[in-house]
Amino acid sequence: MEEPHSELQADAEERTNSPDFDALSPPEELVRGGRTRDDFFDAVLGLDSPATVGDIADLAGHGVDAAREYLEWFERMGIVTQITESPATYERNQSYLNWRRVQTLRDDYTTAELLEFLKTETTRAEDLAEEFAVASPAAVSLSKHAAATEQSIEDVWEAVSAWKTAQRRIKLLERALASESGGATDQRTAV
Amino acid sequence: MTGQDESTASESVSGAPIDFDRLGIIRNRFTTDERFTQVVDQPEFAPERLVCVYDGRFYPSSVQNARLELVWFENGDFSLHYHEDHDEGTFDHRWDRHPSDHNTRDHIHPGPDAPTHGDDTSHPSDWRDVLSMALTEIETRQRAFWEG
Repeated sequence: MEEPHSELQADAEERTNSPDFDALSPPEELVRGGRTRDDFFDAVLGLDSPATVGDIADLAGHGVDAAREYLEWFERMGIVTQITESPATYERNQSYLNWRRVQTLRDDYTTAELLEFLKTETTRAEDLAEEFAVASPAAVSLSKHAAATEQSIEDVWEAVSAWKTAQRRIKLLERALASESGGATDQRTAV
Repeated sequence: MTGQDESTASESVSGAPIDFDRLGIIRNRFTTDERFTQVVDQPEFAPERLVCVYDGRFYPSSVQNARLELVWFENGDFSLHYHEDHDEGTFDHRWDRHPSDHNTRDHIHPGPDAPTHGDDTSHPSDWRDVLSMALTEIETRQRAFWEG
């Protein structure tokens, strides 16, 4: 990154009161939770395709034995799903994470607030569906749509991502609202 | 497998939903850190970006405020946007991983004005290393305000 221009730099008087950067926790430590459990949770959270025990050990920065132990535990908790047997590969279990978020939505917001969010997100998704004139964001080809509408690929990508995000939110909100009245069935099917 | 450049999964080609869970973890870790006076997710119920406001004591009075806004997607794509407000003007720098027609999937839009045409680059594959890289580069710039 570029250095600040000289006219922006601290003057002599300010410099007598310079901040102590060395007292801050180093970035590489800040971005990690500091516990072995966090390291493994971060590693599986970052997976977007099935990974072996060895891959996950590497990502977490710990040994294969520890990886095996945590993955077995995470699987029991529903955080990961085992995809293949030999070699054993695991994948982030998005449905568990969604279930956890549904619980948070129910705990943090009233039914009226959830309905209000749902209305906003539904309108957003409908507007985007109209803009793209297809039924689902999966049917959009970024390059074709960009060329046809004289937009940049980046802009189309942003709109498609927003559409997928709105759909994800709608699903979560609908589940939170359904389980408000439906009791614990949601919990049993998701974990 | 962790959102690398050459990823060809159909979802990563056409975009993915925002990764609310990853943003939530980052918020938890950054909230108690001394660099930031505020770490807010917007909107709170399912974040679409995390706004991390830097403590003003890391800047001379020429900088009115500075923040890092970040968003991550479920396929590993991301956009990290660093912004400073000055008395006269602004400074912007972005680290990105997403489809574009002007750059490779991994690219930066360098300061001071983060132009549309960025520079191709290769970011670390691990999302924590990407974050750490951005924080380190920001800190290097912050330190440079006080040298000279």
